Amino acid sequence: MSTLKHKGKGPQALTANGLRTGPVVYLSADYTWNTAFENAMLTEDPLVIARMSEAGDRDEEENLIVGPYFIDVDAETHLPARYRERFRAQGPSYDPGKPTYAELLMKDGAQVIGQQREGN
Amino acid sequence: MYRYDEFDHTFVRARSQQFKRQVERRLDGSLSEEQFRPLRLMNGLYLQLHAYMLRVAIPYGTFSGKQMRQLAMIADKYDRGYGHFTTRQNIQYNWPDLVDVPAILEDLADVEMHAIQTSGNCIRNTTSDPWAGAAIDEIEDPRPIAELIRQWSSLHPEFTYLPRKFKIAITGASNDRAAIRAHDIGLQIVQNDAGENGLQVYVGGGLGRTPIIGNVLREFISRHELLPYLEAIMRVYNRYGRRDNKYKARIKILVQETGLEKFRDEVEAEYAQLEPLDIAVPQEELNRIADYFSAPDYDDVSSSDEGYDKAVILHSDFAGWVRSNLSEHKISGYTIVNISLKPLKGAPGDISADQMRVVADLAQEYSFDEIRATHEQNLVLANVKKSDVYALYQKLVVAELATGNIGLISDIICCPGMDYCALATARSIPVGQAISERFSDPERQRVIGEMKIKISGCINACGHHHIGHIGILGLEKAGVETYQVKLGGDATSTAEVGKVTGKGFSFDELIDAIERMIDLYLRERDTGERFLDTYRRIGMEPFKGVLYGTD
Ligand code: SF4
Repeated sequence: MSTLKHKGKGPQALTANGLRTGPVVYLSADYTWNTAFENAMLTEDPLVIARMSEAGDRDEEENLIVGPYFIDVDAETHLPARYRERFRAQGPSYDPGKPTYAELLMKDGAQVIGQQREGN
Repeated sequence: MYRYDEFDHTFVRARSQQFKRQVERRLDGSLSEEQFRPLRLMNGLYLQLHAYMLRVAIPYGTFSGKQMRQLAMIADKYDRGYGHFTTRQNIQYNWPDLVDVPAILEDLADVEMHAIQTSGNCIRNTTSDPWAGAAIDEIEDPRPIAELIRQWSSLHPEFTYLPRKFKIAITGASNDRAAIRAHDIGLQIVQNDAGENGLQVYVGGGLGRTPIIGNVLREFISRHELLPYLEAIMRVYNRYGRRDNKYKARIKILVQETGLEKFRDEVEAEYAQLEPLDIAVPQEELNRIADYFSAPDYDDVSSSDEGYDKAVILHSDFAGWVRSNLSEHKISGYTIVNISLKPLKGAPGDISADQMRVVADLAQEYSFDEIRATHEQNLVLANVKKSDVYALYQKLVVAELATGNIGLISDIICCPGMDYCALATARSIPVGQAISERFSDPERQRVIGEMKIKISGCINACGHHHIGHIGILGLEKAGVETYQVKLGGDATSTAEVGKVTGKGFSFDELIDAIERMIDLYLRERDTGERFLDTYRRIGMEPFKGVLYGTD
């Protein structure tokens, strides 16, 4: 069932898109999905990664999120390692939206999808 | 303009109801993403880099003021106040919520629009000359045939699961403004020795990772026989097209692997079998469709207009815009107005909801309530009286739609790239913006003359970089954006695929590199030569010299 594979290097974060409205989300430490990358849980611990992976599968099956996958995070900057993922985290570098991605984040704050589950 | 018949109306409504239930079933989990994905794609809904993206069909790029107003309403109500015109004459929204899409489709259906066949392995929107019906070099308006193809291909059960997507373009003019030879099938209206109009059929063109210019499959086919002939091509493709490898599945690869001669024999054999089935279109039906596109009620006006002439003399900004943005009309006293969607700091093809409403008003007031979207990501009002042009221009100025750069270096085709597209390997919008910025002086642009720069954010080539005079392809190399440059591409009747100059450039190097090539061209050009002409005359080497310092 799972398409989730972790074969990255260094700290990992788990990302996906929310199903209902489509935003980029990251799994946070309380196992909810959060639209702000700064709230993403970063870990190198294989046990935690395994739990995250299970959470990704489960929440995909429960129709909260679509297409979860792990991304590499730079250990020093704490930003996604690949620049594709930096764009996903930061929003488009050119944005004519009214409101823009950044304005929406400012206005509404980070959005949370799912229910808190402690340590799974 | 074409009006839906009852079948179209019923069908589009039924489809949007169907999709509404599919979304409900997806949300409650009765459909998995795997099951839902093909269904949403059949309705133009993608999941992109940041969000869902909905692509709305604009058949052959022609639509009305009322439809444009509805597109604006949708942009405001469900999206973020703007839309993006694509290189296939469609429009897309970058931020819709999945839960809103059924309502959007309902609102589209209210104005005879939909998002069907804007995605998936089917026959996509047939694209056409944006100056159709108005161009001075036109044999015949191509849109009735484009409409015929739309009716034939829409949900054709045989062609719903093709090996890969399939794109058709048609032009009725001698100058190709629809890039027909870059399409799976390209159609050109031609006249035979008996003076009858029919179609020349090109096959096997396409961009993507294997760019190929289409070749003539049939010199002439009458319009009655066109659909059976197309059906024969599709059947041969459907039977032999490769389904084992996505990258080899387009018809261009089949034609290449089979050889044009043999492919032609296959099509002719299939066609011979088809004829008894008599699916040729009767003349009455052709007439019925053609009636919808009959010429508008042109006023009898004189070829020159005093007010217009005066405004050109008095207002140099207007004169500059006139020079680049107006095109000659077949009726004297009328002109074709090209509205640039390439402002200095914008993204090619983007338009705000407010601007959409302005264009809708202008179309209604000055151009028989008709708008065209172009594959170069601009808009056209095709039937404007010269005496109205200055008033129209002033309204464009207020709406910030009066950029005077059609066909010039800042009139760039550019895909969304890494800023929006999930498949991208690099950004393309900021590259286009930086080039426009570097060459922002209108006088300098005019001196450079006709120039087609086309930018894609990955090998899929939605930004047509293979057929740009200068083509730019964004790639990722060791975690940074690099840009490969191609020269000598051409999308017109002298179509050609450009050649790679050599190793790529970083973002910062790229803009200087382009400027060095432009400077070289200005030094080397003979009188009347465009960049492309000079390149063809002097070849790649001098350009490599200024790019890599090898001269
Ligand atoms: S060329 Fe690539 S990056 Fe650009 S729109 Fe197409 S798929 Fe996306």
